[in-house]
Amino acid sequence: MSQTTAPDERTGRLRGTVAGLPRDLTGSQKLMVFVLSMALSGVANLVLEIIPDVTIGPVDVSVSYFVFVPLALVALLNPFWAALGAPIGEVIFVDLLMGDFSGLAEIEGIIQMFLALYIAGSLVRNPRNRMQIAIAAVTVVVIDKALSAIVDLSKVWIGVEDAEFVEGLPESILLLEGIGYAVDILMSGVLFGVIPAIWLIPALHGRIEPLLGMRPRVPGEPIQGSAPRNGLFVGVAVALSVASFFFAFLEAWDIELGVFEPEWLDTYGPGFIWVGVGAAAIAFLVGVALARAARGKSDDEN
Amino acid sequence: MSRKTRDVLSVEWVKLELIRTAYATRGGLFAKMDARMVIGWYLMLAVAPWLTHNFTTILALFAITAVSAALARVGPLVLGLFLFGFLTDFLYAFLAAWMFGGDVNTAIALIEINLKLATVSLASIAAFVSLDPEKLSTGLLALGAPELLAFGVSYGYRMMPILFEEFGIVFTGLRLRSAPGARGFLGMRALWRWGTYAVQAFYPIFLNTAKSVRTTVESLETRGFTANQGRGLRIARLSIGGLDVAVVAVTVAAVAVAFGLGARWPLG
Repeated sequence: MSQTTAPDERTGRLRGTVAGLPRDLTGSQKLMVFVLSMALSGVANLVLEIIPDVTIGPVDVSVSYFVFVPLALVALLNPFWAALGAPIGEVIFVDLLMGDFSGLAEIEGIIQMFLALYIAGSLVRNPRNRMQIAIAAVTVVVIDKALSAIVDLSKVWIGVEDAEFVEGLPESILLLEGIGYAVDILMSGVLFGVIPAIWLIPALHGRIEPLLGMRPRVPGEPIQGSAPRNGLFVGVAVALSVASFFFAFLEAWDIELGVFEPEWLDTYGPGFIWVGVGAAAIAFLVGVALARAARGKSDDEN
Repeated sequence: MSRKTRDVLSVEWVKLELIRTAYATRGGLFAKMDARMVIGWYLMLAVAPWLTHNFTTILALFAITAVSAALARVGPLVLGLFLFGFLTDFLYAFLAAWMFGGDVNTAIALIEINLKLATVSLASIAAFVSLDPEKLSTGLLALGAPELLAFGVSYGYRMMPILFEEFGIVFTGLRLRSAPGARGFLGMRALWRWGTYAVQAFYPIFLNTAKSVRTTVESLETRGFTANQGRGLRIARLSIGGLDVAVVAVTVAAVAVAFGLGARWPLG
């Protein structure tokens, strides 16, 4: 595909308007980015439904998602709304419409994918820099799959009585998860992530934005809705990860009381478990509040 | 529902399946129920298996969800895929555990976790397969889900078959315009070409979709779409009837019986 080669210069840290046009989005443009990200991720996931899942032994060698599709949107448009739209689009179009909805587990998946895409999209400072795109593509898969592997491991730990004492169980689950993780990074992250993305993102840069009534990104320009690089954001991210586990085990925590009794339970009494549940709930609420505060602040800046 | 496996591999099949889910009612118990009660029913069975390590209770809970799946008239394709996945997951996990010196106890532990996971996913299959997506999103809306979700479902419901058809056209166009080429070892080169077309087809799709999304959003704006109007209108259609109460009551009783059986005759 032919590309006009626009000069790619880093303009430094730009402030205010570039080329006479502001880049902050109106409400309807945010909705556009959200719906676009939702629709395209939906199509991408439907295409994946056609590809047969190849399994070699216990390992699933199939592609779990087309990372390059949501990545192109978070890199070129507003990372926050694009990252929010992608996992929701997957749930709506693939899981609901194809009859594969899995209830509570979907919330966990949405939070993981949102975090992964939001962070990766904010890493890209220059949408024509192939190195940054490649790093971002791998980052998406690394963050998303690491979070879901932890959730899987803890499911076994919570679901099985005294899992650590069952012969061979921890090692075998770890082995299967580890192999799956490596395969995912290779297949989803590199083959269908880095390789298409380094072609598609520069090709779309400057072409897709005018269709939505926006000005293309200029390298070095701080964009509205990118993840803030400070302790606050790290706090929010951690809180969201905790919340993702919280949703995954919403059901498991309080009832483990009768069955699973760690030593500290005797020391502090069963009330201590509620401290843990409460802490998770507070972490989640604080995370939401911080995210709102951070967004409000970045809206003021623009 | 008598489809051959190779049908799954075509764009046309996915499109048909989409239209089928969107416009055909599969019937069954849960399709007649109020969406809020179906969600409540699902939550109950999704939580229950995690509350116990008693094998009898887990088996009984699994039986309850199996009966529900039968009542919900879940198709044989979906059920077959579910069973196959469930069995292979267990076998591979056991093989790996056996390599690390696992024994019968390991197998029992694995059956326990797999049965729990199977119960939860069978409950979600029973509840959500027969419920039409728009109804489900209305139920979620009534329970306080964000408006964007309901909007997304309605949008996807109408636009997805069109978008997917468009992808099919672009993809076929790319294939038609390219030279056939060799199949290569194990069809690897054909597979690589297929992947390349699939990726390349996204370039025009991105631009087309961007344009159509802008049109949609702007026409919504001119018609005065605001997020707060939709909720009341959509929730007004919901009503809880005798059937809903009966189904939930029977399930509560069945779950209680399952726990009772477990307490009476524990199986390890």
